[in-house]
Amino acid sequence: MRRTTTDTEVIDREKLETKRPWNVVVWNDPVTPMSVVVVIFKKVFGYSNNKCTHLMMTVHHEGRAIVWSGQRERAETYCVKLQVSGLMCTIEQER
Amino acid sequence: MAINRLFIRRRDGRVEVRLNERGRELVRDLFEQVVAAERDPAHEWHASLSTPIDPSNDEDDPVAILTRQSETSTNAELAVMTADEQFLNDREAWAWLTTMQVALRSIAVTNGLLSDEKLAQSDEEMRARVQALQQLLFSLAECF
Repeated sequence: MRRTTTDTEVIDREKLETKRPWNVVVWNDPVTPMSVVVVIFKKVFGYSNNKCTHLMMTVHHEGRAIVWSGQRERAETYCVKLQVSGLMCTIEQER
Repeated sequence: MAINRLFIRRRDGRVEVRLNERGRELVRDLFEQVVAAERDPAHEWHASLSTPIDPSNDEDDPVAILTRQSETSTNAELAVMTADEQFLNDREAWAWLTTMQVALRSIAVTNGLLSDEKLAQSDEEMRARVQALQQLLFSLAECF
């Protein structure tokens, strides 16, 4: 009985871990022109000009910004696209 | 190089490249260096092209790494092939923009220019190189 309970708890914890979204994080650097960051966000995500500008300013002022959240595979795909475009980018699971 | 309008979006949709020979040499050299860095693990820019995707894992997904290598190479090789063209289509102009941005980031990472202070403390030649690339990127970004 006790063992079954522990197994269930482990499974529940794993389900929770899996459900937590993955964030795509873009990091600030001192050399990339702001307009280039906006253009890359528009191309990769198709966001509006306002949203791209807002995200770029968040990166600039706070050092990083979460630009997308969701499934791990898609987060990884977006991260690769941003890295191929020359931005400093990583993924992390939401805490 | 001219001060501004180095790239212009024409009415027919193509991007016109208005670089003089010195500007062409600069971008050609950058494009070729990105191709070389992707192929050669000993190239000084190679590490900046291999940054972690998920730093919480010891190793990234090999498929994601291969995709990144393949797409970076494809862009850089297309940029090299079109380095002497006067007019670029959308795909070619995007390859120029991303490859120049990859080169700029590689220069910054390789030379430790990861903060405004470090950039300000770098020598005049380095700052001039960075500014020339920023000017090219700024002008090309206006075409998108």
